[in-house]
Amino acid sequence: MPDTERSWLAEMESRSLAKQEAFINGIAAKLQRPRVLDKPAHPFRGAPDFWQTFEWPVTERIERFTENFRSAGGHVSRLPDLDAARSFIAGKAAEMEARHILRQDGPELEALNLEGCLPEPVRVAVWNREPGDNWKERAAEADFGVVYADYAAAYTGSITVLSDAGKGRSVSLLPTVLMAIVPVERLKTRLGEILGDFDRSGTGALPAGIHFISGPSRSADIENDLTIGVHGPGIVYALIIG
Amino acid sequence: MIDRGTTASTVKERAQLALNDDFLRKAVKFTTERLRNGKEAAAEQHGNWEEWRERGKQIRLHTIAYLDYYLNLFADNARANGVHVHFAETADEAVKITLAIAEHRGARSVVKSKSMVTEELHLNRALESIGVEAVETDLGEYIIQLAGETPSHIIIPAIHKNRYQIADLLSAEAGEILPPDTAILAGFVRRKLREKFLEADIGMTGCNFAIAETGSMVLFENEGNARMVTTVPKTQITLMGMERIIPSWADLEVMATLLPRSATGQKMTVYMSGITGPKRKHDADGPEEMHIIIVDNGRSLQLGDPEFQELLNCIRCGACLNACPVYRHIGGHAYGGTYSGPIGAVLTPALNGNVAEWDDIANASSLCGACYEACPVKIPLHEMLVYLRRRKVEAGRGSKAESLGMKGFAAVMGGARRYRTALKLAQLGQKLVVRDGGIRMKVGPLKGWSSYRVTPALADRSFRQRWDTLEQEIRSGLSEIDPTVQKRMEQKRQERGQEQGGHGHA
Ligand code: SF4
Repeated sequence: MPDTERSWLAEMESRSLAKQEAFINGIAAKLQRPRVLDKPAHPFRGAPDFWQTFEWPVTERIERFTENFRSAGGHVSRLPDLDAARSFIAGKAAEMEARHILRQDGPELEALNLEGCLPEPVRVAVWNREPGDNWKERAAEADFGVVYADYAAAYTGSITVLSDAGKGRSVSLLPTVLMAIVPVERLKTRLGEILGDFDRSGTGALPAGIHFISGPSRSADIENDLTIGVHGPGIVYALIIG
Repeated sequence: MIDRGTTASTVKERAQLALNDDFLRKAVKFTTERLRNGKEAAAEQHGNWEEWRERGKQIRLHTIAYLDYYLNLFADNARANGVHVHFAETADEAVKITLAIAEHRGARSVVKSKSMVTEELHLNRALESIGVEAVETDLGEYIIQLAGETPSHIIIPAIHKNRYQIADLLSAEAGEILPPDTAILAGFVRRKLREKFLEADIGMTGCNFAIAETGSMVLFENEGNARMVTTVPKTQITLMGMERIIPSWADLEVMATLLPRSATGQKMTVYMSGITGPKRKHDADGPEEMHIIIVDNGRSLQLGDPEFQELLNCIRCGACLNACPVYRHIGGHAYGGTYSGPIGAVLTPALNGNVAEWDDIANASSLCGACYEACPVKIPLHEMLVYLRRRKVEAGRGSKAESLGMKGFAAVMGGARRYRTALKLAQLGQKLVVRDGGIRMKVGPLKGWSSYRVTPALADRSFRQRWDTLEQEIRSGLSEIDPTVQKRMEQKRQERGQEQGGHGHA
């Protein structure tokens, strides 16, 4: 960034800080009391009490997740292990004639070894392996995006993916088909079990992107007729492992 | 094609236009009913809905009561995450900051995901004025942008267009004839907007919730375009109403439970994204630079106002629109502001400091309380509508606004005879349109016999006193017209019938 731009940003920054003071003071004045500087007691934080302890046994979590994810238009398969996931994805790739597969980086998907089992001309790219490549374009041309989910929630039928260097946000967004591997021990009952972790890790420790995905991209904007895959993946598989 | 909503200037005229459009009415009804039924089903299925609503209300009340603390915390934390935070008191300031960023980044195009705040600021127009293309990427918004119109529903902006009209619009854009087939049309938009996402310099979003304790911003959506906008372009600008704050991620669970269910009847929107700062050093996607512009633009007028502060609790779900018999009948454009339906009827004048020209909107509601019942954070919109009318009356705001209002009202309700609520409305209307110790009334279904000028019957009580009665009536529900009132009115009619000559109207 050129120096002029840097100094412009710095100037905006100092103006913003001054403005913040006036803006926040103005709010306190409107509320007709002195400014509150200490954390107020928040007796209603989070979900109602009865909900906080609610939890399904694992079989029910799987059932409910499956039911919810399917009713949103997604697909769910329960598979015993990563070997089964590999053959499942390879099978779908062959069936749909996928040519470009993009996967996240990371030990679990490394162990999955898709690269080793998909014959030419299928190309498997690993997100951000070689720096400098235009990874967003790689993702946009991919037929399959393969991710290893960080969490899932049964009650809403949602998969959660967190971003980092090896886990691009684009991998779960730009390809036509999304394959999400969900290890069963990461499948929770409620959203709150997942969200609580973000409160605990707090500022500074959160990834830039936290994404909950609950089915294929959809829109009902044309005459209320449901369309699938408007911007994000139109076909989404959740592969529950274990 | 009719350029609806830009030519007519009063609610009456706009309502008239909408009422003449058969398709609009059917489309609005079909969609809103589906969404509403979906909502009822989702709420019921979820169980304990009332407890969730109450929790949602408490969280919003708490946050707004300590807005200075939480907003300050949010700004500090967002900055710590590497976000450039800006504050804008007016629409003008917000626009200036946005344009400055666009200019400094040498932007030629901006891709936008759905944001009511940017509508409110008329940002697209401003961007275009400096030669920056602003592309709406939400399918419905994209369609109405091509048509050169404004949204008619918070959640389904193109609710008033059929697929033939949409095929025409998209064909013009494609340079080839596209069949009126939803899948093909959506496919074209997907391809077209992919190019736009990849070549855009700036991604622009609104913000559903901002989490104070971690400085994160949260977006709910179904299409994935908000994710595109926050992932692909180098610079992200988020416009955020200053009241969008919630304290923690734990509180987000409550909002995530209430918002999708109330908006579309979904258990969860397809995507819920929490964005915490620009891309990290080693990330290969996400914006390199992220700005959040915190906008007041009239919101703080509600702070400390006991009657209207709760407006700031609104989570923009649109449930009150779907529940409103008047909205269902006349559609969104008739409201003439950025926000339509019951929430728009109150919010628009409130954001504008209750300026007289918007006053007629408050009359385009039946006060039946359906909006309150539907609201996931229990905002008493129906009461606020009454406060608004009362303030107008108290301020002695001239007969112009009032008569305009009542005409609009008559247009709306005249065509909505079958709604039982019309009766309640007339009943209330009688009490509301009090001026100079008398009543002027010529309302919808009762018009035929109530076209007299002044009824001194109630003049022995002050408006204040009557106001109390009215408030009680609203609180205890207005299921039917009071038989004694009806009797009294009927009596009046007979008396009128015996009088010679017409009385004309003020
Ligand atoms: S007022 Fe309530 S129902 Fe209406 S949009 Fe706001 S939150 Fe939703």
